[in-house]
Amino acid sequence: MTTPDEPDQEQAATPLVPAYVITNGRSLLDDDEFSLITLVTTAQDSPSTQHLDPEKRRLLELCSGGHLSVAEIAGHTQFPVGVVKILLSDLTQAGYLITRAPIPAAKLVDRNILEEVLHGLQARFG
Amino acid sequence: MTQYLQDPALWGLIAGTPVAATAIIRGRKKIAELRTEKEELKTHYANLENHYAEAVEEAKDRAEEATKTALKSAMRTLQGLASEQQLAITKLQDKYGELQILQDLLDIDHMNSQFARRAQSIAVLCDGWLGRQRAAASLYDVVRSAKGRIRHFTRVEIRAQSNFAIVSRAVEPVALTLAELLDNATSYSAPETIIEINIRPVPKGVCIIVDDAGVGMNEEEKSRAAKLLSSERSPGVSGLGNPPQFGFTVIGVLAARYGFTVSVDSTSPYGGVRAVVLLPEELLTTMPAPEPEPQHEPKEFPAVAASSPMPPAENPVAPSTTFGGLPKRRRRGAISIVPAADSPDVPVRSSEQAASVMGAFQRGTQSGRRSTNASSEGHETQ
Repeated sequence: MTTPDEPDQEQAATPLVPAYVITNGRSLLDDDEFSLITLVTTAQDSPSTQHLDPEKRRLLELCSGGHLSVAEIAGHTQFPVGVVKILLSDLTQAGYLITRAPIPAAKLVDRNILEEVLHGLQARFG
Repeated sequence: MTQYLQDPALWGLIAGTPVAATAIIRGRKKIAELRTEKEELKTHYANLENHYAEAVEEAKDRAEEATKTALKSAMRTLQGLASEQQLAITKLQDKYGELQILQDLLDIDHMNSQFARRAQSIAVLCDGWLGRQRAAASLYDVVRSAKGRIRHFTRVEIRAQSNFAIVSRAVEPVALTLAELLDNATSYSAPETIIEINIRPVPKGVCIIVDDAGVGMNEEEKSRAAKLLSSERSPGVSGLGNPPQFGFTVIGVLAARYGFTVSVDSTSPYGGVRAVVLLPEELLTTMPAPEPEPQHEPKEFPAVAASSPMPPAENPVAPSTTFGGLPKRRRRGAISIVPAADSPDVPVRSSEQAASVMGAFQRGTQSGRRSTNASSEGHETQ
């Protein structure tokens, strides 16, 4: 806890370039576009990265080792998850990254089918 | 002869001559006296007039000083609050990064930055606090920081990145200068036009060029701007005019104090104003090498690296040096723990194998739990 007498140290924690400049004012993505467990990796034949922002280059560097989830990528950067998603979406649209949908969770089986199976078993063995 | 002696006129004349002579001499004396008196009065008047002007000047200076002191301390408080608020907003952004509220937090962050900039500008006019000193930063980041301090920042496009960096003490002044220039540029051009920033190395240092597509300035405005931008002595708070024009005054003060030059006398290729900030070598430095990541050597994880979907050596994304000639940081090859979907190295287990593996795992954990009680290293004591 810093005291009010030390505003200098306090401000030191804020980044020079704010997050809304890094996203260039883009609004947040819909939740279904990128989830926390969407997997991301670099594209095989990505264009030149010279003109990209340093933050985006860093993301590409992170993703180049293989598939990483959005949550992991956000953990490696100092940016909020929503901001990371915007950057990843930019990079994906520009062809630098490819995404893979997360492995779907097991679907709940329809109750009717279970009941039918149960009845069948009961009729057979019960 | 006697007839003359008896003439009273003669006697009158004899008596009158000395009287007249005396009168004339007296008159002359009087005139001389009056002349000196007049001279004295003249000097006295001039003295009075001079003192009056001096007194007025002194009173003006005192008033200006008093205004500056009051404003300075008021701004110091506001600046402190703004930076406190910025820290709080940054923390909130991290905390609620996954939620839609992040959008609002980003907007509030933006408003707070503009607020802080206004307070900072007034503080500069009062010779006040410029904000916390920042670490040396790349020119690109300083320009982006400036961009974030104005309202319509999405209209600003930065055309070139550079390898130049700005020394610690000049980061805030340069960012504030650019922010004021960008504020002018966005205010005096149509909302749909772009403000373009180029960074160009020159023999004396680096130029930051801000081009807008606005209406430009006439000769009178240009000469007034040039005067403000180059003046050694700031016109102060009372010399801002009505409506007050902060921008150039603030820039002029900063440029004089930190030793860079700003000119706005040329026309941009789009017909608007071209502002050029020339940063001398003294304010420039080279970027410190990126601090080493807490990374593992890639050779520790050969298996995972081999299973990555693309061999790092052939990746066009990663030249060994950056385009500016700096050494490229080593790729973090081993972060991913998820193998590629179509990777041939992933062994395909049959369901029986999978079941036996899982069974072995379960037996292992059970035996481990049983032995925990006996183990001296176990964390779980029950």
